[in-house]
Amino acid sequence: MASPSDSPVRASLFATCIIDQLYPEVGESAVRVLRRLGAELDFPEAQTCCGQPAFNSGFWSEAKPLARRFLETFSGGNRYIVIPSGSCASMVRVFYQELFHDELALLGKAQALAPRVYEFSEFVVDVLGATERVAQAAKAPGRSKATYHEACHLRRELGAKTQARKLLKALPGVELVEMEQSEVCCGFGGTFAVKYADISGAMLQDKVKYIKATGADTVVACDSSCLMHIGGGLDKQGVNVRPLHLAQVLDQAMG
Amino acid sequence: MEPKTKQFNQGAALAIRDEKAQKSLLGLYHGFHAARLRAADATPNWEELRDHARAIKAHTVEHLDYYLAQVEANVAKAGGKVFFAADAAEANKYVVDLAKARGVKVVIKSKSMVSEEMGLNHQFEAAGIEPVETDLGEYVIQLAEETPYHIVAPAIHKSRQDVSELFHRKLGSAPTDKITDLGREARRQLRQKFIQADMGITGANFVVAETGTVVIVTNEGNGRMCTSMPRIHVAITGMEKLVPSMKDLGTFLRLLIRSATGQRITSYVTAVTGPRRSNDEDGPEEFHLVIVDNGRSRLLANPELRESLYCIRCGACLNACPVYRKVGGHAYGWVYPGPIGAIVSPVLTGLGDAKDLPYASSLCGACREACPVRINIPRMLLVLRRELTEGTAYPGQRRVALAERMAMRGYRMAFQGRMFLGLATATGRVVQRPLVRKGRIRRMPPPLSGWTRYRTFPALPKHSFRSRWKRGL
Amino acid sequence: MTTAPRDEFFRTIRQALGHPEGHTPAPSATALGRTRGDVDAGARHVREVMQRDAGPLLAQLAETANQNGWKVLRAPSLDTAADYVRDVVRRLEARSAVRTAHDILNRMKLDLRLADTGVALQVMAQGFGLDRAALRQKAIEADLGITGADYAIAETGSCVLIPRQGVSRLASLVPPVHVAVVERGQVLPSLDDLFTLRRDDFLSGNLGSYMNIISGPSRSADIEYTLITGVHGPGEVHMVLMG
Repeated sequence: MASPSDSPVRASLFATCIIDQLYPEVGESAVRVLRRLGAELDFPEAQTCCGQPAFNSGFWSEAKPLARRFLETFSGGNRYIVIPSGSCASMVRVFYQELFHDELALLGKAQALAPRVYEFSEFVVDVLGATERVAQAAKAPGRSKATYHEACHLRRELGAKTQARKLLKALPGVELVEMEQSEVCCGFGGTFAVKYADISGAMLQDKVKYIKATGADTVVACDSSCLMHIGGGLDKQGVNVRPLHLAQVLDQAMG
Repeated sequence: MEPKTKQFNQGAALAIRDEKAQKSLLGLYHGFHAARLRAADATPNWEELRDHARAIKAHTVEHLDYYLAQVEANVAKAGGKVFFAADAAEANKYVVDLAKARGVKVVIKSKSMVSEEMGLNHQFEAAGIEPVETDLGEYVIQLAEETPYHIVAPAIHKSRQDVSELFHRKLGSAPTDKITDLGREARRQLRQKFIQADMGITGANFVVAETGTVVIVTNEGNGRMCTSMPRIHVAITGMEKLVPSMKDLGTFLRLLIRSATGQRITSYVTAVTGPRRSNDEDGPEEFHLVIVDNGRSRLLANPELRESLYCIRCGACLNACPVYRKVGGHAYGWVYPGPIGAIVSPVLTGLGDAKDLPYASSLCGACREACPVRINIPRMLLVLRRELTEGTAYPGQRRVALAERMAMRGYRMAFQGRMFLGLATATGRVVQRPLVRKGRIRRMPPPLSGWTRYRTFPALPKHSFRSRWKRGL
Repeated sequence: MTTAPRDEFFRTIRQALGHPEGHTPAPSATALGRTRGDVDAGARHVREVMQRDAGPLLAQLAETANQNGWKVLRAPSLDTAADYVRDVVRRLEARSAVRTAHDILNRMKLDLRLADTGVALQVMAQGFGLDRAALRQKAIEADLGITGADYAIAETGSCVLIPRQGVSRLASLVPPVHVAVVERGQVLPSLDDLFTLRRDDFLSGNLGSYMNIISGPSRSADIEYTLITGVHGPGEVHMVLMG
């Protein structure tokens, strides 16, 4: 763990394709927050996508070139790798070892890289140890009532069940109200949301209902893909709740 | 049972629109699922128990040939007989021939999922023998001529009105809105069958190799009735239900029961070791154990899927699964619904026809989190998806539309080279223009229309994160 | 050459596991880690604990059994226990009852103590002109079944019956009401302890054909998750704890 007096914690940012292409503001927030907490960041330009969409759909041979590219891009050095997505972090930390289970050289690379990979909220709490500093830096301009959706891969693949809530609770300007079934999947699941749209839509319907029931003005998660799905459902139904990534909430509070 | 795995989407659509079904499926979350979490909390060393049970199952499955031979020898020593059935047909023939040879007219059955696989009831009926399901839920299902909706609660999709109407129509009983009346009527009907029957059929929750003991867990007592009243007891089990020793039962009973219903223990746990002994006051004269493969050796042969044989059929993954809680038990089209069914059914009945089962999952992992023996169901779903697209383990079973294959190739090419990605994004910004209103896309053409049926989509912003970083952040 | 179906079944499994044809590797003994000596020692220890902690175990059982739906009586004497059973018989207006030949029921002088209730009490044991069919009929007609216990389990609120000569399977199952009498010193701390003893029984050749762990009334929640009792087994169950 680092304290402000230590030399800066050095990390590479993997922005994820969805943030890069659709939600650049989430990436910007993540950068601002991490820098304010003393991290020294770089952004390896060769990065693209971790390959999860192909891997999850069964196209392992299509996923492999992308995963190889990731490993080549991030393997050098010993910097932390911060990923503002529980799902993409799971792909790199957990599923690369499945994908390359029968390719020893790449498996070795994936195993060596895995311990350096952290999802954003894990990185802030577990590596930077910055919960206190977040609380101090949060200036609380106005109050917001937020509810938290626990993204599936963050909870169940990475086992990070506490960090995001800890940070939200540390913000004086944010009142955290728990929704019912916060740990239940919103129904995204990548191509599942399109191929099995009615099932996914029914799951989303529940999520929207439980979010509405809290009376929150903001729904927070650590995955832009879940938020794209939940936000798209809220918008479709004309529900006035803002979907925000945890990085954005912290950025605004510390801003 | 004839698999209907091909009709997953139709079944799912029916359930999603069925308000009554949705209500009872939500009940699984607040009922069994919540009860399991409370029970796990109240059990000391719950996580260690899970590890221990998984290790025992892994060990047993790796030595299945050894332990099966041990069961065979020990059941024989106890005066019973073991029959090994390679498939459903062999198992059916053995049981029906036995019933015929002994002049059996009525067979009472305690719950056995394997006998559902076998379609045993139809075989009995064809032979002029009356099979009677005695688990209350199974009895309802049998009267309704349906298949079980849930591993633990087969008729949970039926309301009291449904059951009352069914009893009225099939049994001539007076309509009622009291569940106690329905229970009493079932007891009255089934008690007569218990008295008449010459053969009792049960499943087996566990088979202890060292002693040749079959363990049956019930709440109603029908398992006890089936093993105490008729003169012949036949237990039918999948070959994976073995545990090496009696000493393992404490761990497994705790995990099974607490994961299934959240009870500390069921009303009855019954252990059967052969037929009654010569001095016993009662009990069956004959005991047969039918051990069924029926495709399980295909799961065994695949190291990536082998752990599906650790399943103890508690149903916790069904209760935890947000997809099961939307599509219900019938959509899965065979005996085993839910996450574990999405692994087992395709391999046992044909992967190609069952292609929707592994794909109809958001891979949220709630099943693995719930599984008492930590079966990694999401990983096996991924493996089956791979087999459906490009695998070689199940020849002739690949099923993926060309369009999807092309789309995946396009995606890979886009992200493999950044030049191409930049071009694709730039094109996207142009193409989306007529669709964007206030930064959102509200309608997209097929196949993406599935998305916009339930959500809007964000328009591509002017600049990517990458370009903003380059300009300096 | 044709192989027997049984051999074919095993061949398939060996093949699936990658075991050499015709050879079944035995698991290493350490994987199971239980020698006869271990079992003996384990069983001895369990028996010691049952006696040493008899009081607290009875108290815990009273609580867990009650939670499971047993009506529990702590009986300080054989007389109190017999009186309780008599009250149950009277309340039920039972005309016939069956019982096992457990010694505790003899010591309670149950036959004598129930004489004035008018109930016909049948011991479920062959001989005296009654064969199995006749006994079975008695059980079917009985309003009440009375048994001792072979063990009880504090963890789970259970009594354990091990049917054998003198201990019928049906007495605790077929009548609508069951009374079980548990003696001091019969209560095991946990399920594991039961199976330690039963494994010892097995190795001594005394496993028998059957065992039931009974933990409350017959129940079902198969319709609308609503609990009902007495579906096939007894809907009313009493546990009398001696001492």
